[in-house]
Amino acid sequence: MTLLLGVLEEGLIYAVMALGVYITYKILDFPDLSVDSTFPLGAALTASALLAGVNPALTLFFSFAAGALAGCATGLIHVKLKVRDLLSGIIVMTGLYSLNLRIAGGRANVPVFTQDTIFENPFLADHVPGGLAPYAAVLILLLITAVCKVLLDLYLNTRSGYLLRAVGDNESLVTSLAKDKGTVKIVGLAIANGFSSLAGSVYCQHKGFFEISVGTGTIVIGLASVIIGIQLLCPENGVSFLTRLGLPHVRPTTAVIVGSIVYKACISLAISMGMEANDLKLITSLLFLVILVVSTERRKKVKPHA
Amino acid sequence: MLKLVNINKYYNAGTVNEMCLFQDFNLSVEEGQFVSVVGSNGSGKTSMLNIICGSIPVDSGAIYIGNENITHMPEFRRQRRIGRVYQNPAMGTCPHMTILENMALADNKGKPFNLRRGTNKKRVDYYRENLKALGLGLEDKLHVKVGVLSGGQRQAMALLMSTMTPIEFLILDEHTAALDPKTAEIIMELTGKVVKEKKLTTIMVTHNLRYAVEYGDRLLMMHQGQAVIDQAGEKKAAIRIEDLLERFNAISIECGN
Amino acid sequence: MKKSVKTLFLAAAAISLLTTGCSGSPAPDTQAPADGKTYTIGIGQFAAHGSLDNCREGFLLGLAEEGIVEGENLTVLYENSQADGGIASQIITNFASQKVDLICGIATPMAQTAYGVGRKQNIPVIYTAVTDPVAAELANADGTPVGEITGTSDKLPVTEQLQMIRTILPDAKTIGIMYTTSEVNSLSTVQEYKDAAGDYGFEIVDVGISTTADVPLAADSLLEKVDCVTNLTDNTVVASLPVILDKAAKKNIPVFGSEIEQVKIGCLAAMGLDYIDLGKQTGRMAAAVLKGEKKASEMNFEVIQEASFCGNTKVAENLGITIPDDLMASVKELFTEIEQ
Repeated sequence: MTLLLGVLEEGLIYAVMALGVYITYKILDFPDLSVDSTFPLGAALTASALLAGVNPALTLFFSFAAGALAGCATGLIHVKLKVRDLLSGIIVMTGLYSLNLRIAGGRANVPVFTQDTIFENPFLADHVPGGLAPYAAVLILLLITAVCKVLLDLYLNTRSGYLLRAVGDNESLVTSLAKDKGTVKIVGLAIANGFSSLAGSVYCQHKGFFEISVGTGTIVIGLASVIIGIQLLCPENGVSFLTRLGLPHVRPTTAVIVGSIVYKACISLAISMGMEANDLKLITSLLFLVILVVSTERRKKVKPHA
Repeated sequence: MLKLVNINKYYNAGTVNEMCLFQDFNLSVEEGQFVSVVGSNGSGKTSMLNIICGSIPVDSGAIYIGNENITHMPEFRRQRRIGRVYQNPAMGTCPHMTILENMALADNKGKPFNLRRGTNKKRVDYYRENLKALGLGLEDKLHVKVGVLSGGQRQAMALLMSTMTPIEFLILDEHTAALDPKTAEIIMELTGKVVKEKKLTTIMVTHNLRYAVEYGDRLLMMHQGQAVIDQAGEKKAAIRIEDLLERFNAISIECGN
Repeated sequence: MKKSVKTLFLAAAAISLLTTGCSGSPAPDTQAPADGKTYTIGIGQFAAHGSLDNCREGFLLGLAEEGIVEGENLTVLYENSQADGGIASQIITNFASQKVDLICGIATPMAQTAYGVGRKQNIPVIYTAVTDPVAAELANADGTPVGEITGTSDKLPVTEQLQMIRTILPDAKTIGIMYTTSEVNSLSTVQEYKDAAGDYGFEIVDVGISTTADVPLAADSLLEKVDCVTNLTDNTVVASLPVILDKAAKKNIPVFGSEIEQVKIGCLAAMGLDYIDLGKQTGRMAAAVLKGEKKASEMNFEVIQEASFCGNTKVAENLGITIPDDLMASVKELFTEIEQ
């Protein structure tokens, strides 16, 4: 049970970030590495804000805003300065590393064990019945993730959201619609990194400390979640096992959240099976490669229609 | 009225590969005119369209719409008044979005892309009607992703989408070249109909000499950045395919082919 | 019908996948010792690193000294997070789900993660190799634990080190220190060096780096300005120590280490930590908690009881330096060659 809860908690924290990666990787078709630094950005900002006595719930909004700004930076570097997509992300990622340290007060490790967080505060202590306490964290995470997912779904169905989807699909159409594709990309990157930073904030509050290294490999987790989720639950133009089972079709955003949980479950399984710790990264990258290869093969199959 | 004045365009300027595309090129297209443009590869047809649309910059010269100088206006702003259909059917639609979503996108051109609902439910019937007019049965596939449609179906949609909102100019860039003869015929007929109905000023680049002769009220033959034939009205109507072929051959001999 | 059978099968498969990890702690297969108690502990190590490995080794030795022996009455679950915070947290959750009797967190982030999870699950945590438990909020300012968590700090014996350098190099004026700006432990240690250096007639010249790639250039610039170099337990710098040693040797500048492993690979001498000893000390604390003699919350965190001197005569010979006899008298370990 503890393990199951642990996997759910980990999965849900990273799911919010994975929603961001879904925007950049699947919708915008932009390999955005800046999430590796916007995730710790949210964590650093949250640690500092909590120490300064800011309301824990408010830190979520601040983190989203800060992440969105960083996403704008990536976008502006790419669009206005015409730097290649991958490199713009790397530039922001590198720069933010220093900035994150500054935000955290020059410290690479900031504990907030004694501060109130969204998971531990007087309100929850008073209002959550004892029997529910072990599940409180999962429920809170579920709420945050669900809100993010629903908001993203709603957004993607607005006119602005249509444009965002169009720019990843066919840039020249966006130009034809008399819209600046660059601006649309910047908006997309802002939302994506906002989510990543928000996830970082949640991470920091859940773990009780900020650590500069938390961002390492965020993009890998994000990509893995997106690819696993989409391949599993709603492959493009394909039939998922859900439909084969006669279950209803799910939205890609739901699939991404499930993907994140499945990914974390795989890691957890590897750990509890006593996988040699040193091999864990190799296993992750192999898993990743396999999924990527499988998914490109599927894409090839549907491409002749394109 | 669309006017190109003293356009100069070089590729790879300042290198040994320097290639002059346009030298003091002038063109003016009257309102409501339907211009067919033919010419061999590299004659500057598509470059001319790209210059008009702002996809490539000019080295010198000016582009006017009416009295407004649009030479330095970014591509996406010019598209407010221009509809463009490309040779590749994939360029005019979003493959991962449904037919309905594509229609809604096109319908919103010129309006703000804000946080209002992407598809206006009240407009669905209008879209369906428009699709029905294509006669391809697309009106029954509103929720199908465009990526699964055939090239011809997509090109028909692209044409529909680019002319859905009020525009002044329609730019057709070999828009039938990638289609099979039968589909090309359908699309071309559709084009003629739309242009006539909406009274659009149109520039159509084509390699199909028959279309160039049959459609439009002005014909340009481009060669080395110059219009070697430019006939309108009665004289255009008198041009036959054989005349064009003859001229093509003459040009080829000049070039030593 | 067929469909529902398939569904059931898939669901069962999924559940079994998810629950294999939960199915209780692996039963120790050895016979129980006299008192009949067996223990399961989880050791989470933050990164693969010579000193941290020594900590773990020492920890098990310390437990063994108290009669808790791996394979007899102790089952050890060991995981290394390879410096990945997300993995660290899953490792600890995994320990918690196996209902271990105690979690040992090696290095600061792992200790914090263990505390974050452990306090919710009522599992005591023992940490080691945490330089500043107070700054990490694992201990209160007076040294008392913040909860069921205690352990040992690997704070360097700075004054002892300065004293030793003075003894070996009576004429030296400046000491160079290279550190990673993002390593919180290094920052505080550098400050401590600066505060204490004056008492021994030294001046500290420090140079901060951010990645391994900065080491060669930073080393060149540092070696221009100093009479000798002393090394911290900074992870990034330690990993690149051979580069610094090589450059220093060419300039005939002595480099002092902070622990035994560094002297082994070419530092002149160290008055520092023996991580095995530190681990042993930690292991004894863990034993007290496991046996129920004391609760973790009743023990203040400890620092290494005695700095140990070790030297490398081969390096001394290369530099043309003799290590004074009174230091040699207290030597804990002496190396006569440089291990590559």
